[in-house]
Amino acid sequence: MLPLRAIRPTILRHCLTTSSIRTYAAQTPGNPMLEIFDRRTKHLQKDRAAHNVEESRKVDYLKDEVAMRLCERLLDIKRTFPNVLDLGANSCNIARALTQPNIDYTTPDDTQTPPLAERISKLTCVETSRALLHRDEDLPFNKEIDITREVTPDLETLSYEPNSFDAVLSSLSIHWVNDLPALLAQVNTILKPDAPFIAAMFGGDTLFELRGSMQLADMERRGGVSPHVSPLADVRDVGSLLTRAGFKMQTVDVEDIVVEFPDTFALMQDLQAMGESNAIMHREAGPLSRDVLLANDAIYHALHREEGAQGIPATFRLIYMIGWKEGKDQAQPLQRGSGDVNLKDLLGGGQFEKP
Amino acid sequence: MPVKTRPVEKFAKATAKCATEAATYGKCVVADYNSIHKDMCAKEFLRLKDCYLAASKKG
Repeated sequence: MLPLRAIRPTILRHCLTTSSIRTYAAQTPGNPMLEIFDRRTKHLQKDRAAHNVEESRKVDYLKDEVAMRLCERLLDIKRTFPNVLDLGANSCNIARALTQPNIDYTTPDDTQTPPLAERISKLTCVETSRALLHRDEDLPFNKEIDITREVTPDLETLSYEPNSFDAVLSSLSIHWVNDLPALLAQVNTILKPDAPFIAAMFGGDTLFELRGSMQLADMERRGGVSPHVSPLADVRDVGSLLTRAGFKMQTVDVEDIVVEFPDTFALMQDLQAMGESNAIMHREAGPLSRDVLLANDAIYHALHREEGAQGIPATFRLIYMIGWKEGKDQAQPLQRGSGDVNLKDLLGGGQFEKP
Repeated sequence: MPVKTRPVEKFAKATAKCATEAATYGKCVVADYNSIHKDMCAKEFLRLKDCYLAASKKG
């Protein structure tokens, strides 16, 4: 063994000569971005789905329903909107919903309410897939509202002037966006002051049944798991995302839509026809193995099929969000604890005991 | 022109004929899904697969 004193000088000299030692931290150049979803794949999925027009229209039930529920929220805003953007329009489902009369089901049956389209002068629909966007351009609803269709290479960079829209709507699109904070910040910029952003997206527990049974099938058949259902934002995160993007007076609410399917194959076929298949990066290449599919169907039935039900349920969790761009003379939320009416008196009820 | 049947539809049809085998396999997996491991229900799965293969041959 060498005595310690003997090696010490050589180490010291070595340290002094390496001038490249950095004593400070530096940021890597550029804006590092986490890529979760494969944009190209998503684009292809949407395009392929839309090319089969008949099938694609058949599975629009979910998107039409959500667009309808989203547009209902516009009823609460007593304004006209000269210039509106539909961000990620799919097949212009929002435009279709806006042209429906009597969307307001709270009015008595015999009163007619005009379609919301009457309050909107110009609607710009922007979407990444040309085939999907132009799928329904010959249908009659196009004549009842002034639609401009625009194809954009990706939803994450919006090429609009600041302060140009009176409202931005978005239905079932932004759950595929990689950088949601950046997108929301851009939306906030292109809105006019005191204008709303109203959006719906799939959230956390969407398709939890499929996610779970796929994992079990993967584990049992192959001894490991691979992501088959794309990750989604959680309800709890959406509020802070909106705040971070500078929105005021946010409202976030959640709704579950449960759809019954005959089997898991029908569910997966519909998802594919909607263009909503898995698009996560680093997913397995190629189709799912038949063994896993077979196992998955059996496990899904065993776990989630209700007694006496014909098919299996699939849950879609929708997150609705409303945020307002800051504006002059905008209504402000009151301070916490400043209310002088008890909600219990106002709404009645308040009993937690079981009847 | 005959309507083209997609492979997945054939697959679904054949699987539907094996409800009993599928239920047995499903029960086996669900019975202990917190400690699932590879081939835990291999026997039940093979029975399900045999049934599926037989059903898909018949048409």
